[in-house]
Formats: sequence, structure tokens, C-alpha cells
Amino acid sequence: MAEKRITVRATRFDPAKDSEPRLQSYDIPFSDDSMVVLDALNYIKSHVDGSLSYRWSCRMGICGSCGMTVNGTPKLTCSAFLRDYWPGSITITPLNNFPIVRDLVVDMEDFMEKLKSIKPWIIRKQEMPLGAGEHRQTMEQIDDFRQFSQCINCMLCYAACPVYGLDNEFLGPAAIALARRYNLDSRDQGTKERLPVIAHSDGVWECSFVGECSVVCPKGVDPAKAIQQTKLDTSVRFILPYGNRE
Amino acid sequence: MDFESYDVLVVGGGLAGIRAAIAVVETNPSLKVGMVSKVYPMRSHTVSAEGGAAAVLRPEDSYETHAYDTIKGSDYLADQDVVEAFVREAPIEVIQMEHWGCPWSRDPDGKISVRPFGGMTTWRTCFAADKSGFHMLHTVFQTSLKYPQIHRHDEAFVTKLLVEDGRCLGVVAIDMRSGRFDAITAKAVILATGGMGRVYAFTTNGNICTGDGMALAYRAGVGLKDMEMVQFHPTGLPFTGILITEAVRGEGGYLTNKDGERFLKRYVPNKMELGPRDIISRAMITEFEAGRGFEGPHGKYMHLDVRHLGEAVIDRKLPFMRELGREFVGIDIVHDPIPVRPVMHYMMGGVDANISGATPVSGLYAAGECANVGLNGGNRLGSNSLSECLVFGAATGRAAAEYVSSAKAVSANPIEGMLKDETKRIEMDYLEKKSGEERIGAIREDMQLSMDAGAGVFRTREGLEELTKQLGKLRDRFGRIKIEDSSRTFNTELMSVLELDYMLEVAEVITYSALAREESRGAHARRDFPERDDEKFLKHTVAFRTDEISPRLEYRDVRITNFKPQARAY
Amino acid sequence: MSAETETSSRVATRTYKPAMPAGWWLRKGHYFWYMVREFTALPLALWLLWLLYEIQRAGRGPSGYYPPSSTPFVVFSVICLLFALYHSITFLRLAGVILHFKVMDKPVPSGLVVASQFGAWLVASIVIGAVLIGFGR
Repeated sequence: MAEKRITVRATRFDPAKDSEPRLQSYDIPFSDDSMVVLDALNYIKSHVDGSLSYRWSCRMGICGSCGMTVNGTPKLTCSAFLRDYWPGSITITPLNNFPIVRDLVVDMEDFMEKLKSIKPWIIRKQEMPLGAGEHRQTMEQIDDFRQFSQCINCMLCYAACPVYGLDNEFLGPAAIALARRYNLDSRDQGTKERLPVIAHSDGVWECSFVGECSVVCPKGVDPAKAIQQTKLDTSVRFILPYGNRE
Repeated sequence: MDFESYDVLVVGGGLAGIRAAIAVVETNPSLKVGMVSKVYPMRSHTVSAEGGAAAVLRPEDSYETHAYDTIKGSDYLADQDVVEAFVREAPIEVIQMEHWGCPWSRDPDGKISVRPFGGMTTWRTCFAADKSGFHMLHTVFQTSLKYPQIHRHDEAFVTKLLVEDGRCLGVVAIDMRSGRFDAITAKAVILATGGMGRVYAFTTNGNICTGDGMALAYRAGVGLKDMEMVQFHPTGLPFTGILITEAVRGEGGYLTNKDGERFLKRYVPNKMELGPRDIISRAMITEFEAGRGFEGPHGKYMHLDVRHLGEAVIDRKLPFMRELGREFVGIDIVHDPIPVRPVMHYMMGGVDANISGATPVSGLYAAGECANVGLNGGNRLGSNSLSECLVFGAATGRAAAEYVSSAKAVSANPIEGMLKDETKRIEMDYLEKKSGEERIGAIREDMQLSMDAGAGVFRTREGLEELTKQLGKLRDRFGRIKIEDSSRTFNTELMSVLELDYMLEVAEVITYSALAREESRGAHARRDFPERDDEKFLKHTVAFRTDEISPRLEYRDVRITNFKPQARAY
Repeated sequence: MSAETETSSRVATRTYKPAMPAGWWLRKGHYFWYMVREFTALPLALWLLWLLYEIQRAGRGPSGYYPPSSTPFVVFSVICLLFALYHSITFLRLAGVILHFKVMDKPVPSGLVVASQFGAWLVASIVIGAVLIGFGR
């Protein structure tokens, strides 16, 4: 039986040499049904072209490093199986809406800034002393924010969001979902402090609910839900008297 | 020339590293802390840890029991004073994490839940569903963002520790984005670079676990302690090596062989699936060799069965495992048994550090998996590592903060020359080298397969000696390596070759240390020396770098306080 | 497009930011239907403008007023109705996403929330329809 092969095209870009990115084509063996797109990239790098650059680490969908655009859709390449594309070819380009640093590597600094801007830490008026033990919290209270705490910072949602693509000032799905995670945590009292960044024209109000972010999210975070809920939440706060509690 | 300068520089952005950085600024808010990581911190391999963190939280538990479990688990190679200090700090760290927002799973009364775990005589492992490492890492990382004194250098790859006259002055790091070589100076450097699983072919570890900090310290003259103690986790998925958490067994999962038998009754009858990892891994290999394992396209395996737990328990306690089963094996663990086999997972050995994380080089500290402070000895109990990262990350941060309060500033004088030399070394050996025919991938794969075969669960003198020869040949081939990528911008091939250099170094230390330890203790199992030999080997192996391929080995007594070494049976 | 990005005082690294193509919304079905949803505002606005015009016409005297019955207007109204229905259905489905509240500590399932919104819409449509037709007689 002839060995199965698959064609992989990947973006190449070296700022020192190239004025713009181009696609390079590779033809590699598809030797195991469990192979993922990341395996294809690793094969290319090990055996064919060592200069292909991309990020990856855990290969099990939890570190968020390996997000790239595969045949037009943002995906974690460690969880995209070759068998779903074969015998068709695979085109791998960097995540949309981000500046390209090199080959399949994008600039993450804007994302990191946005994550930090929403103050993703427990804010309390009065810190409880360690000796007092843990804050009591029930599993139901954790259920309130659990979904929004699953974000692995893979940035697929930013790549899918046309609003972010058209306007880089938009705070974006993951940052707002993370803000909501803390706002809903029973231990946190920082909702008011996060408001200026969230309830801003570049914050939730920039979102027009395309919803593609939730479609591509590999962890089921549903950032679109987080954003729309936050819109309602901040509006209610604005209208109701004494609505601006923590 | 101006260099970026810090009071304390942390190398590595995982649980131990970030915890240390926070500890420094909480001890002394006027200190300036730098954090260098070759990946963005949320990518650190801590993120993949699943099971939980052990701590004495319940009234029916006691420090003495946790200490005893840990020391017995270590096959009595642990330094008992370190263990006793550890068990007292762990509960404080768990509460601190909770205050910082870690979503520990809860009992109905709202208190932090605990679950049973391997080798623990009582329930003491706190957990955040089955994504404990993920939640803990994101908690400390996001918390660290509120301290303006912590300055991060993300995607900066450290190539050398700067040491002069027995004092660590800082590091040389490549800024991946621009390819620029930077010297970053600091009065104290804390290594928190994690493990070296990628030295093996079949491992739970991610791509970034290449033993960087261990090799860096080794080259700076620090000893690597107990490197032969490599932990093989009993339950990894075949082919990928993806970890199936011990918590599956903690929640009541069964390990069965091809005959449907819970075979552990012949090896650890009292603890069964909750025995320590080294014994269970050996049991599985023994069963494979007796022909009682399942045969699959990716090797032999056993069944890990949780069908009897029911969907409700699985979705509440093991949702990530269900996801992994679906995604990577195409099974639903509610209805199908999970195929598992022993997989390289953790390094008990590491940089020789004391209870405060200090190494013999002044100003150089180490914490987390890359360090060996004497906690885990010959075998680590599951869920002690996440606690270890917190306890010793914090302790090391505090110790470093204290040290720098009286340490002299680093003078820029020797740094410029050191930076120039290091830049030249890497340019000549890799970036600008025109000759060479060996590929990184080929050498790396050969090293990994050789290590799997020669330094696996069971070792023999012949296997280890053959391995030393193979590593010698790999070293020669490494000298003839050529990289294809000469770009300065985000050159991941350069990073790979530097990592391979570190890995070969670490592999050599593991192999020679294993060859010299002529006994079986903890995770180190010699077929030719199947018994434990306390007379000769109740000691730590400390390996020092020489000009040869083989290290110089010294032996240091284990510190015993309250627990006399006994036969280890479960 | 490329941008100079300073990573230090010493070396700048050029990045490449691809421009978003004008036809981005044609790339995926989901994007296309999103644009249709947003576009519905236009026919609705046009139809309302026409309604204002009709109201003004009717204001000139009830005896001389009769609503337009030409075929183009009916076709236009039907098209606008389809857009309005699409707009309403997509909007009401959002209620399940946005509204989350608990009854006796148990979260109300989003399906129920959406069903109640559609139910309210149906009731409101019937009431308004009855009023308009009643007045028409």
C-alpha cells in the first residue's frame, strides 16, 4: 500500500529579507491517523526545513501557544487532526488580526496589555488575614464564573473577531470574559474598579455580537455571552440608584 | 554600557518562578524584580498539571503523617528536615492561593475539598476540578500583574549564567523577537525553569521542558543532585504521552490488565491503585513483560476504568479527562476504559539547593522542579509538586530578598566582556557556521529513543553503559550540527539547538548517576541490583561537570530526623 | 502594511500587519449572516420613512386618504417584513445569552428564557395587530 502524503502550505516571513509574507509548500508523509497539524509542522521542521518558525508547547490544548489559522479558521494546531483535511491540502497562516513577527508567529503584546488592563486579580476592600483560612465558597458560586475561568489565552477569539480586525482598540473577547470571571467571583469586590475599562466605547460597547469568538473558542468559554451579559450588567448599574456597588 | 539591572532576577515563569517573584516584592516592596521566560508565563508547563496540591488542611490529618508519607514515598532518600518544614508551609500556601482567587473545588460547607492521592494515608490533596495546574498558574500569573515592581522579559532565552569569583551576577539572554543578545544583571538569580522531560521520547512534558536551568547551573559549577531519580507516571495516553491524572485513580478508577484483573493486588495489595507511582509503573511494565498487557498500534497498554463512577462524578471531578479522551483517543470515558501506559513525567533530581533554595554559588538560587532541595528523594508523591513549587518558590523568594538587602551591586565591568564572548560563541557555533551536516531533529530523536530504552523504568548495567556510548556518539554528532535558520528574528531553530545542547548535558548526568547507583531505590530500579542498599547508598548523588563527558560524582548523606528508614511496602 | 516596533533602544523589529480585506464578510457563512442581520436596519429604516410619508399623506385629510395598494409597494413591504422577522428572531434569541437569573438558586435554562421572549413577542404582535385592525374597521 502506498504511503499517504499530504500537502502543507505555510506562511513564511523574515522581516530582514521579505517585504511581505509568502506561502511555502511542503509535501509530507501522513503516516498515522492520530497526526495533528502540529505534528505536520514538527515533521517539516525536523526533516525538511528547519527554518520554519512557530510556537508550541503542551500539545494537549491547555497552554494556548499553538493557535494559527488553518484553512481559514483559527485553530489550535495541536487539536486539528490531519484526517479531517486529507486528501485535501492544508494552508497554515498566522492568526488573523495580529502583526506578523516571523512566519507563523504573531505579536502578542497588545493582547497582554489588554489582559492586564482589566485588573485580573481579586480586589477586596479589606484583605482577609491568612490565618482566618479560606473564604467560604460553594460549588454553585463557582458555577457562576467557572465557564469564564477556562480561557487559555490562545487568542483564537481575537483572530475570529472582525471588530478587532477593523479596530485594534477593541478590548476584545478574552479580556472581557476574564473581567467577568472576576466580577462574578463571590470573593471579588472589584467590579466598580474594572468598570472604566469595561464599560468604555472600546470595551463592551464596541462589540456588535458577531459571535464568531464563541464559535472558535476551543475551551467553550463563550466570550460573546460574557460580553453581552456585561453590557446588560453595566447598563443596569448605570440606571439604578445605588447600582454602582462592588 | 548600560545593562538591564535588577535586585532579583527570576529565570522561568511557571508556578515556582512567579511565586518567588511575588514573594520577593511582598518581603520588600522597594526591590526591583525581573522575570525572564522563554515563553509567555501562561504557557509554562505548570499549566498542564491536573491532580492537585497536597496540604494538611483537615483536623484528622497531621504534619507528621504528611511528612511520613512523603519520606516513605521517597524511599527514604528525602532530607527529613526539609520535608518537615515543607508540610508546615503547604497549608499556608494553599490558603494564600485561595485568597488570590484560585477556584479550589469545595465541600458543601464551602471549605476547600480534599481528595485521596497515591501514597497518601489520608485525604489531603486540594484540587481545582482536574485542571489544578492551569488554575494555579493563571491565578499566580494574573496576581503578579498587580505588582509594578515585577518586570517581565517574555520570550527571552537564557544561554548562560554570568558567574565570577563564585558569585552569580546575572544572565545572558537572547531576545527572541529581535535576536538581540542581552546581559541582564542582578544581585540574585533564581532558577525556576522546570523539568527536562523532552530528554525522553515518551513523556508527558511539553516541548519547552528541556532542562535549561539544570544545565545552566551545571555549567556554572553547581552540582546536580539525584539525577538518576526520574519519575515515570503510570497513566499516560499511548502515542501522545498526554497525562491522565492520578486523580482518576484517586476518585476510584481501576487499573486492569488484558485478563480484566486488577493486577495491583499482587504488587501493592493495601493501597491498590493509590500506591506510589514508581511501584505502580514497575508493576505495569512487569505485567507487560509477562504478556498480560493489551497490544496496540502504539505499544502495550493497560486499562484505566472509571465507568463505575458514573457520568455525574466524572463531569464534576474529571471533566478535563473526559475532554482529553474524546479529543485525542476518540473515547468517552463514561462508557469506555482509558488506554494507559507508564510515561516519563517528573524529575526528582535537580540543581543542588538547600531549604532556602540557595546553591553553593552565592547569589544563585533554584526552586521548583529544576531544583532538588531534598523534598522528593527517590520518588515524589503525586500532588506534592504543586505544593513544592509554592512553598519553595515563596521560601526562595524571601531568602533572595533578604540576601540582596546586604549584597553589593553588580559592577558592569566584567559583564561587557562576558556578553561579547557569549554572543560570539553562539554566532560562531550556530548562526554563522557554514559547515556541518547533522540535523537537530535526528540527534534529538536518537537521544530520546536511547534514553527511553536505556534509562527507563528498569535499568541494567549493560543498558546504561551502552547508553553512555550512544550519548558520546551523539555529542560528536552535535559537534557537526548545522542549523538552516540564520535569521535573527524569532529563530526557533537556534532555540532548539541550544535546548538540545542542554538536554544532552542533562542526559549524560542522568545516565552516569544511574550507572553509579548500584541499588534500587524509589524510581531508580536496577535489574542487576534489585534491592535497596542503605549501607552504601543512603546518600544523595551529586554530579559535577568536568572536561570529560562523564561528571565527577560525590555522595552526601541523607539528613534523617524522626523517621528511621524501613522496608517500603504498601 | 509593516510597522516599526521598538523592542529596545538598540534594535527595531519590523512586523507585518495584513490589511483586512473589504470582502472579509464573504469568507464565512457566519460572517455573511451577521452582515445581513446588521443590514436589516436599512430596509427597516426605509420602510419607516415610507410610513412617515404615508402618515403625512393621511394627515392631509382622512377622507381623501387611502393606503397605497400598488404591487411594488406590497413587494417592498414583504421584503422589509422578511428582514424585520430575521432581525427580530436573531435579537430575541440573544435573550437566552444575555439574561441569566436564578429562581430559588437554580439557573433558569436559556431555552426557557428564549421561549418566553418569543411568547411575549407573539402576544404583543397579536395585541397590536388586533388594535390596528380594530381601528381600521
